[in-house]
Amino acid sequence: MTLQTDKSRFEAIWRAHRHQVLAYCLRRASSADAEDACAETFLVVWRRIDAIPPAPKTLVFLYGIARKVLSNQSRAFYRRGRLHTKLTNLGMTSAADPMHIVVQSADDRVVTDAVRRLKPIDREIVMLDVWEDLSRAEIAEVLGMTRSAVDQRIHRAYQKLSRALEPVLELRSISSPPDAEEGGT
Amino acid sequence: MTHDQIREMVRRVNPIPDPSIFESVDVPVLRTPLERRMEMQTDRREVTNGRGQNRWRGPLVGIAVAAAIVVGGLVVVLTNDDPPVATPAPNATRINPEEMDSPLAPGAYFVDPDGDETSSLGGTFVIEGTGWTALPSGTRKEFGEDYVSLMVVEVDQVWSPACVEPAALAAGATAADLANQVAANGFAIQEALAPVSAFGHDGHHLVVEVPAGCAGDSFMVWDGPTFGRFYQSPGQVVEYWFLDVEGIPVMVEASWFPVSPEEDVAELRAVTDTLVLTP
Repeated sequence: MTLQTDKSRFEAIWRAHRHQVLAYCLRRASSADAEDACAETFLVVWRRIDAIPPAPKTLVFLYGIARKVLSNQSRAFYRRGRLHTKLTNLGMTSAADPMHIVVQSADDRVVTDAVRRLKPIDREIVMLDVWEDLSRAEIAEVLGMTRSAVDQRIHRAYQKLSRALEPVLELRSISSPPDAEEGGT
Repeated sequence: MTHDQIREMVRRVNPIPDPSIFESVDVPVLRTPLERRMEMQTDRREVTNGRGQNRWRGPLVGIAVAAAIVVGGLVVVLTNDDPPVATPAPNATRINPEEMDSPLAPGAYFVDPDGDETSSLGGTFVIEGTGWTALPSGTRKEFGEDYVSLMVVEVDQVWSPACVEPAALAAGATAADLANQVAANGFAIQEALAPVSAFGHDGHHLVVEVPAGCAGDSFMVWDGPTFGRFYQSPGQVVEYWFLDVEGIPVMVEASWFPVSPEEDVAELRAVTDTLVLTP
């Protein structure tokens, strides 16, 4: 392929996926690290432009590169451990009722703690499943795992999350009683 | 509790729920450094024009060979005899994965090779020097952009051969299987696999050097519950111990670079000598 064609293709990939790749990195690293990782990911894309598969497989391939960049050993080690810090710094969702805000905030803490306590590889699978909204086959591709390994891990991860999040669900059902029956005089 | 309920709860704490929020900024922070580096890459591509792309390989091999001679002595020092088994350091401070890069003061530390707080499997080691920082399952000391490091991990997957992806194998169920997988994935072998007794357990020992030539400079080796590892520095030396810790294969990995200061490598050896694996 000529250099000009390579550049055009790179530009197209950049335009189509830069935000998703940056979001992927920001969900797993600090802002500065995420920007580095995203730039590095696209540099790899540039170097390996011939190996980048066409849509709809491009994004999954980019996630795979970004994941490896984040675990790059040459200048820095893995950064996904910063997830917890990132999650605990989240803003709260909009809600009018102050009590609701308190409950929501406590809920969020329970959820983030539960996700944090997963094994990192299981946590990554859950994040790819829920946040990147990938299919299990796509998750397997990003992680270089077999589909059955992803199925097993996701099943185990959801069991663990279920145990941890059950109390939150119960609390919600207590704090949100059924609507009162409408009546009139 | 259904999967959908769990997914909804996790979805709600997504830090970037919609990447289109970046549309208005066009990621300028990324664009500038990326463009600069792409220009450098482009210049190189234009010069080589598809020929001589491996022009660095010869000198790199030469450097690697010279480095191998230099570090050979260090390897011998590090692997000379089975060290006496240390006793677990009392009151060791746990290194949690989220403490990545945190400085570690001199003292005893505990790492969790399987990332599972409910299991007792662990490794303890003692750091006496300064400048060490935390890894999710180990420690390292930086020197410029290089480092010496010690890691204690369970392995989920092994890439074999290392340059090809996706080609992850499920990690072998025994320490011997795992050792054979890693030994076969394309490293330059400095010391072949050999039986060893180390850190209180039996297993296999291997010393390798990271070769040049992988696409994207990514020599992928293994992925585990606490960490993923690939190397981008040809010439980096990695010493492995694959140990059977009461039926669980645990991998200990010490690594350094040809340019690593001797005192850092000596400190790495000292930290490694204090390592104890507990089932």
